[in-house]
Amino acid sequence: MIRIAAIFWALALLPAAAAAQTATTVTVVAVPPLATPKNEHTPAGDTGALSRQIAEVIASDLRASGDVVPVGPADLKLYSYPEATAPSFSQWRSATQAKALVTGFVEARSDGRVTVGCYLHDIVAGRELARQGVAIAPAEWRRAAHRCADMVYAKLTGRAGWFDARIAYVAESGPALSRVKRIAVMDSDGTSHRFVTAGDSTVLTPHLSPDGNRLAYVSFAGGRPHVRLADLSSGNDRPLLPDNPAMSFAPRFSPDGRKLVASLAAGGNTDLYVFDLTSGAVQRLTFTPGSDTSGSFSPDGSKIVFSSDRSGTPQLYVMNANGSAQQRISFGGARYGAPAWSPDGERIAFTRSGGEGLRVGTMTPTGTDERVLTAGPRDEGPSWSASSRQLLFQRSDPGGVRSSLYIVPVDGGDQRAVVTPLGASDPDWSAGGGK
Amino acid sequence: MRRTLLIGLALAALSPAGHAAPPPPVIITIDMLRGEFVAQSGSDKVYFAGDSFGLDANARATLAVQANWLRLHPEIMVRVEGHADDRTPRDQALAIGERRATAVRDYLLLQGVPAWQLSVLSWGKERPANPGGGEMNLALSRRAVTVLMPR
Repeated sequence: MIRIAAIFWALALLPAAAAAQTATTVTVVAVPPLATPKNEHTPAGDTGALSRQIAEVIASDLRASGDVVPVGPADLKLYSYPEATAPSFSQWRSATQAKALVTGFVEARSDGRVTVGCYLHDIVAGRELARQGVAIAPAEWRRAAHRCADMVYAKLTGRAGWFDARIAYVAESGPALSRVKRIAVMDSDGTSHRFVTAGDSTVLTPHLSPDGNRLAYVSFAGGRPHVRLADLSSGNDRPLLPDNPAMSFAPRFSPDGRKLVASLAAGGNTDLYVFDLTSGAVQRLTFTPGSDTSGSFSPDGSKIVFSSDRSGTPQLYVMNANGSAQQRISFGGARYGAPAWSPDGERIAFTRSGGEGLRVGTMTPTGTDERVLTAGPRDEGPSWSASSRQLLFQRSDPGGVRSSLYIVPVDGGDQRAVVTPLGASDPDWSAGGGK
Repeated sequence: MRRTLLIGLALAALSPAGHAAPPPPVIITIDMLRGEFVAQSGSDKVYFAGDSFGLDANARATLAVQANWLRLHPEIMVRVEGHADDRTPRDQALAIGERRATAVRDYLLLQGVPAWQLSVLSWGKERPANPGGGEMNLALSRRAVTVLMPR
């Protein structure tokens, strides 16, 4: 786990009119290069160079969101270090159509780290909207940029930022009939990529804990598929149920990270259980003879959405987190699986299986307003961004030979590929933000 | 060294003169048994339709012959491996694979194969029958395989 010491300065949360705009208003924001009080050498490059690179990453993050339109850093004027906190609003008003402005600075510190300051201003009203500072190792400058972009995005859209987040997924290599699968973790923008498992056993469905420090996944090590827990900082890796002969799979953390919902299969019957990771207590949630699997908590932890074939075909159901009040929500005339509850609680993403193959979509937690977002034929396993505005999913080519990761906006629109070094499946996006 | 030589001499003394050495013991490998099993049962696999885990008449006939062979080979352990096609979401594929493997295990039990000889495993959709898409490959992947293992 990358450790960053974050210093949050007092947030200047002025009750500005521009704050918390609705997502339907797309704000244009100018992102000129950051300033530096003195161009100094660091192991990751001079602070002057970092100032430009950080602005490029901030702009690139915001552009990828589709919810905010950045301009710059190219072709925007440079400003002095003092102007980072006190920009000349009249000059910016005449220089750009943008309504908002991101400024900041990169300063080398005596302890070898750099301080990256980040400010968001309302150009029209001529006032500061938010600020934050991060002290970070020079090599980790991208994370400082992502955190700045998170602050800007959150302030302008009223939604959680999602750029300083991680993706866990299954890296695939080798032929389709004897695929080598390894769990990998990377930052949302594809950097800081590393493998967590060695590839000696088939592994599936990694899910990060809300703090991003632990990983639950399925491994065939020893022959039997079973849930394992990996600690990403210590490297410790252990089975969830060392002495249980049942197959276990489909693990997902509760929003507080203290529990895990997973399926156990034995005797032709798969049911959902909740495991308390601190006390070791186990609670069985479903008792039907069918397959109950793919549990996913609501963001407040009070409910769980899951898939079940108790009606004859796989459909989505919602229940209270203690297993009571189980109710079917999917009635769209197809098979449904792999549900994931959005971080804002508003929608449930799923994989829909019908005549068109596998496609990704969303519906409300009561099953209304179903929207299919992708064309298939092999799109599956959606995972939400922290902003609840994007879905990351797995797309296999029609022949099922190679899989890769894509992001689709929840309102539809352009899909973009996430670059991974190998084939990729089973993506999971960490909650992001405040790590 | 010296003892080995003595035993060798003793054996030479016991074996009747003019006869060839006795034939070496026949070593039966697990692969040979697997070949014999498939040849006699017709197949080590049974197939399933759609989301189903029900055994059709073909599957039951295959399993009945498999069971006859297995009853005669208590030295062999059996792992029934269930699979799903890759049009099934990943978690559901693991569940349906377990169900298919269990359906086969239960039928073999019914046909008199002892429980201690049998175990089940689900591969979900991790081991497709063939690479590539197409209805035929999907159908071939919806299967349970009776895998013989040395005890």
